[in-house]
Amino acid sequence: MTTLWILFLTALAATFVGFFAPARTAKVFTLLGLVAALVSLALRWGEPFSAYGGLYVLDSFAQGFTLVMIVGGLLALLADCDYFQRRGWPPFEYYALVAFAVLGGHVMASTAHLGVIVVGLELLSIPLYALAASRRDEASYEASLKYFLLGAVASAVFLYGIALYFGATGGFVLGAAGSGPIYAAAVMLLLAGLAFKTALVPFHWWTPDVYQGSPAPVTLFMATAVKAAAFAAFARVLAAVGLEGPLFYALAALVLLTVFWGNLTAMVQGEAKRMLAYSSVAHAGYIALALFGPDPAPAMGYYLLAYALSTGLAFAVLMQLDDGRGVRLGELAGLWNRSPLLGLGWTVALFSLAGLPPLVGFWGKYLVFLEAARGGQYLLVALALFAAVIAAYYYLKLLGAALFAKATKAEKIVLSGSTPVGIALATLLVVLLGVLPGLGFGLFTAANAIVR
Amino acid sequence: MIHVLIFLPLVFGLAALVLPRQARLLGLVGAGAALVLGLVSFGAYLEGSSGAYQVPLLAEAGVHYAVAWDGVGAVLMLAVVVTTFLALLAAHDVPPAMVGLALLMESGLLGILAARDLVLFYVFFEATLIPSLLMLGLFGGGGRVRALVKFAIFTLVGSLLMLAGILAVRYLGGAPSFLLSDLVAHPLTGTAGMWAFAAFLIAFMVKTPLFPLHVWLPDFHAENHPSGLADAMGTLYKVGLFGLFRWALPLFPEAFLAFQPWLLALAALTALGAAWTAYAQTDWKRLLAYGALSHMGVGALGLFSGTPEGALGAIFLLAASAVYTGALFLFAGSLHRRFGTLDLRPTSGLAKSAPALAALGLILVLAMVGLPGLSGFPGEFMNLLGAWQASPVWTFVGFLAVIAAAAYALGAYQQIFHNAPDKPADDLDAFEWQWGALATLAIVFMGVYPKLFTTALQPAAEALAALLGGGR
Repeated sequence: MTTLWILFLTALAATFVGFFAPARTAKVFTLLGLVAALVSLALRWGEPFSAYGGLYVLDSFAQGFTLVMIVGGLLALLADCDYFQRRGWPPFEYYALVAFAVLGGHVMASTAHLGVIVVGLELLSIPLYALAASRRDEASYEASLKYFLLGAVASAVFLYGIALYFGATGGFVLGAAGSGPIYAAAVMLLLAGLAFKTALVPFHWWTPDVYQGSPAPVTLFMATAVKAAAFAAFARVLAAVGLEGPLFYALAALVLLTVFWGNLTAMVQGEAKRMLAYSSVAHAGYIALALFGPDPAPAMGYYLLAYALSTGLAFAVLMQLDDGRGVRLGELAGLWNRSPLLGLGWTVALFSLAGLPPLVGFWGKYLVFLEAARGGQYLLVALALFAAVIAAYYYLKLLGAALFAKATKAEKIVLSGSTPVGIALATLLVVLLGVLPGLGFGLFTAANAIVR
Repeated sequence: MIHVLIFLPLVFGLAALVLPRQARLLGLVGAGAALVLGLVSFGAYLEGSSGAYQVPLLAEAGVHYAVAWDGVGAVLMLAVVVTTFLALLAAHDVPPAMVGLALLMESGLLGILAARDLVLFYVFFEATLIPSLLMLGLFGGGGRVRALVKFAIFTLVGSLLMLAGILAVRYLGGAPSFLLSDLVAHPLTGTAGMWAFAAFLIAFMVKTPLFPLHVWLPDFHAENHPSGLADAMGTLYKVGLFGLFRWALPLFPEAFLAFQPWLLALAALTALGAAWTAYAQTDWKRLLAYGALSHMGVGALGLFSGTPEGALGAIFLLAASAVYTGALFLFAGSLHRRFGTLDLRPTSGLAKSAPALAALGLILVLAMVGLPGLSGFPGEFMNLLGAWQASPVWTFVGFLAVIAAAAYALGAYQQIFHNAPDKPADDLDAFEWQWGALATLAIVFMGVYPKLFTTALQPAAEALAALLGGGR
């Protein structure tokens, strides 16, 4: 409850503060608000809580996913300093919009009522449409429009699913018993609507363009917080209806398509943000793989945290190089010499994304594979592992472009404001949680099964 | 003490990366301290103290930080600390970051040898890849990116398959955790066991390496930094035989026996094929790469025989070859410092102007050839002795490979040191005297007093052979 209120008040405060004070103040307000929300979450960690007649359920599942979203939001805000300073913006609304999006994600994760999920979904999406356009140039507008149009379709599909669900079960709360073709169609439509936000292939087509066109801090936020929110709802719907019959094969097909298509397409990209966009598509497949296990929530939560830290770190590094036209692989050359901190962050982030121990990404993969293996899906695990080799290839390519290639530019990159703090913190966490995996995973095993 | 030994190089390595100016000093102190600790640990092991320690790392998923020295781990640990120290002593002209990365690798390798939990083993196994890749990518030659991709893909395909096998062996076998003792008590049999064994086998065949998964090896060595530091560390990283000995064979005895005839053939053909290829090389590092590959084939032949002699010989050979192959790569670094090339052909007749250099080279080459009295001999002998009991035919093929070693190694030696015309070169410098003397000492000691090591290896080798039914 406190978490919900804190996030809500933060968003309001960031909006109104901006009328009287510079954007920097709005940023400070938002950061403080997110940290306060994190603290309120930690104080009641592991204690389920519900309010409004069960419409708002902050169970440990929701707590875990909210944690990931807040971490994603914090990373995006901490690392964005130089990106914006170079351009003389953002307007203060930027921070208010981020806060509203986190609030939306939190709502989406903390309910089993389909109507409330829609409220959360829209509260999350509408600020993002605006955020995607916030660089105010052609590419940014294009990203925003694409995201908006496809997002609207996805929302419509999801709403259509709700309508059918109501028709089949007579209620809006997940977990009601149902059967028959209308119920099946309802479930498929609900999952398809959410698969759009989680970017599972073949619902991923917006991802590369939107990730590439949006301002880098917004991309970071999308790849971490938004994905976590979408997966929270996805997992809740799936846990409520059970993974049986055609749904099982549909999800298996989605997972395989996602890991292979995402990784194979990432391999041939020439632009780093686009490559990471496809890599984030592939990671969605690994997260969904956990759904085949008997108790997927802890593994999913941990993977999302690991992935948010690693990919957030990678985007934070790219952000410092991005001049608005993206970062060609060749422009990465000499990164280590131009800024050791960025070089270190980049190396750590990529090895973690590739799933090499002792970094947090390895344990994420390990736990997800373990979960699927516990569910008896060895073939899926083996195929997904094979896709991970393809992924390792292009992560090495990205790493090689930065470290092993001859430098074309020599001038140092100077970081200022909160940027080095954000990057150093993320690097440290990726290593620390990798060396002591119990530290992070303990958070998520406090979680009970998903409340149905 | 076991933790200090494993993580001390890591601390010094990170320090060397942060303080590049002191890297040389930090490297020597770190590797020296590890050498001393290693000798003390080995002594303690002989007195019966294994330093076993265990604490849950990820309790919910049955993963432990569990380490201990057994005979196999302790002997190979000695090889690691000795060779790393040698390499850091010899490579005095490498970029500072390389020293740090070498120490990180040493930590990872010691972890690999000490781990008693399969997931922990995997973590160390993979973590060591990171500094190894960085060393090749940052400081390698012109074709390094190609070599790196080859090396990384082969390794990762193998190890990710192994990860699938790791999950399967616990959940299908029904063990409560990933501890070695738990896994051995709940063996995975039948078809599932075959598949899981195949996954482990591929991972370790890449890292042994064995034909046909060896193709990354020559490029890896040829493209690495000419000083030989990265090659020596890379040689130590070839822990495939150890992985088979410690994990794959004990976990899947049934599957192994079904594969055994094929594996013996593969090992023998690797040994002979690599020796043949080595003979045709004109690049000193490529020749060494193939030579070492041939020796690993002989070692695998012994191990796959499933006899106590063969298993013992395989680990002995692994330890011995880590030292002499590592030293030979460092020797290649010395030649490169003098001539700026590793091509065998332009250098000749060095023995006149640099007799001490020639003597050092001769000792190292003879160790590789397997001259009795030097460290290569006991391992090879026991390998062939064990293999003979399993398959005389393939043993004969392996024997041919051992003979061929004399041809390619001594042929190359003659080319460099004796063929006219004489090309003058500087004799050993201070660094080379130091590491050369130390390497010679280690090689001779292992050759004349192998009993110290075989006593340590004996129980583990016999236990393995008993598990495999004696190989017959």
